[in-house]
Amino acid sequence: MDKSLPASTGPASRGPRVRYILVIILAALLALPPMVNDYQLFVANTMLVYCLVAVGLNMVLGYLGQLAFASAAFFGIGAYVAGLSMVHLGLGSLPAILAAAVCGGLAGALVGLPALRVRGYYLAIITLAFGELMRWLYVHADGVTFGSGGFNMPGIALFGSELSGTGKYYLFLAVVVIGVGASALLLHSRYGRAFVAVRNNEAAADSLGIAVNRTKIIAFAWSGLITALAGALYAILNGRVSPDTFGISQMLMHFVIVMIGGLGSLAGSVIGAVLLTGLPELLRNFPGLEEIVFSLLLIVVLFFMPKGVGGFLSSRLPWMRERLYREGRGNA
Amino acid sequence: MLEVHHLTVRFSGLTAVDDLSFSVQRGEVFTLMGPNGAGKTTAFNAIGGFIPATQGSVAFKGKPISGLRPAQIAALGIRRTFQNNGILREMSVLENVLTGLELDTPSSFWGCVTGWPASTRAERNATARARAMLDKMGIADLAERPAGDLSFGQQRLVEIARAMVAGAELIMLDEPAVGLSPGDRLHLGQSLRELAAEGVAILLVEHVQDLVMAVSDQVLVLNYGKKIAQCSPEEVRNNKDVLEVYLGHA
Repeated sequence: MDKSLPASTGPASRGPRVRYILVIILAALLALPPMVNDYQLFVANTMLVYCLVAVGLNMVLGYLGQLAFASAAFFGIGAYVAGLSMVHLGLGSLPAILAAAVCGGLAGALVGLPALRVRGYYLAIITLAFGELMRWLYVHADGVTFGSGGFNMPGIALFGSELSGTGKYYLFLAVVVIGVGASALLLHSRYGRAFVAVRNNEAAADSLGIAVNRTKIIAFAWSGLITALAGALYAILNGRVSPDTFGISQMLMHFVIVMIGGLGSLAGSVIGAVLLTGLPELLRNFPGLEEIVFSLLLIVVLFFMPKGVGGFLSSRLPWMRERLYREGRGNA
Repeated sequence: MLEVHHLTVRFSGLTAVDDLSFSVQRGEVFTLMGPNGAGKTTAFNAIGGFIPATQGSVAFKGKPISGLRPAQIAALGIRRTFQNNGILREMSVLENVLTGLELDTPSSFWGCVTGWPASTRAERNATARARAMLDKMGIADLAERPAGDLSFGQQRLVEIARAMVAGAELIMLDEPAVGLSPGDRLHLGQSLRELAAEGVAILLVEHVQDLVMAVSDQVLVLNYGKKIAQCSPEEVRNNKDVLEVYLGHA
């Protein structure tokens, strides 16, 4: 047997180092609020929201390998369900966030149905159409959704007391840690392996007893759940929900975050979200240059790091290689 | 254990498998041989549920499996490998073998996303079983390597390990020796005989004569989809119909 290639330093050898780094990052995030002003805290909250978005979209686009663009629709569903359940039903913040997650999961399972029959560009068009259909619904079901003008969110309270900016930050941090952590656990289980097996070779997956259709539905449902959670947090953060927020430009933002971060990379999802939400804020100090610098940066990153920042780091730092990594690109 | 009765597969006007019947017993290595285009892989795919049979039936342990989906057939205890490499290239070798334990890993969805101890335990047990199988196949040191980075021969071994790990009762191997070095072929042959000794039935499609002769209990030779011989490896060497097919003269 050819043993000339070295055994990789894969997941078995990376565990403790990754755990230390995660603990340090978490400690830094917990210590953040006293060190930043309200605006910076708002930006940090936005980063947290988009971390969830990127993880949710990557579940389908990166891990399952399906060219599906319903992420903005799930995001909107989360925002509307959370907001409307608070406005109309008087739900508290946590039950409203949970309701958003459940509805997002159901919407994800529904959107996953076409993926059982079509793929590639056809699936992309169907999922984009679903997003536009949802926007039409937000505008025209104005008796419930308040139409094209949208609505303001009620005050956000937790256990009887209204949340300050710092309180919201800790709520967001908890939801994101749970959402990303649960996604990591899912990906490292037989379900995550099934996602990648379906992406790699459906016939082989089928022959191993992996129920391909069920696997696709599960991935879409989890993607919907996680992205809707992000939508609920987005509504809480901005205090306002309106249909124009959840269109094609929102979808494009999600897609760029995942492509820059790296398809099929959890760490890349988080890095992409932080970069794409943080950089525009940094560039705000250079009026006129903002769009140019941002666009050039995207081109440079994608040119020199075709697997995204997550893939680039994995190739340079073997201990960062994730268990279910994505070898190629563009074969979603 | 596996009963194939009058299996016929037609594609438009072409009869790829013509009235094929045979049975494979527990602990037996049964080989399908034949020149290219003889219908071996088509018969394999029809038995495994990947293509529908035009006529005939297939039964496993007395139960009909014709018309079942591949995943349903796998759940009954039948595993297979693919002629054109069914490796999951973007997974590590260990993850590839773990996918073979999909049906044997009793971890629920919510157990997995919450890190529930029973699910974590099930995952840990599955990993231990996968590592033991890699060890048995002599490729334990490749466990963390991306499967797509391996040589073709190594990938075949990973695929075979994946098929064997779940303790299947029938394993169908489609040309497993392609790309293997003579040493690896020998090792593969030993592994197949060990499996058969444990009671596993093995259905093999193979061209490599030394492997076929070393491991097979029975050999069935196909030509143009039809059975032309079914006998022991020793007999097949001297069968005039077989010699005619392979050498052009008896």
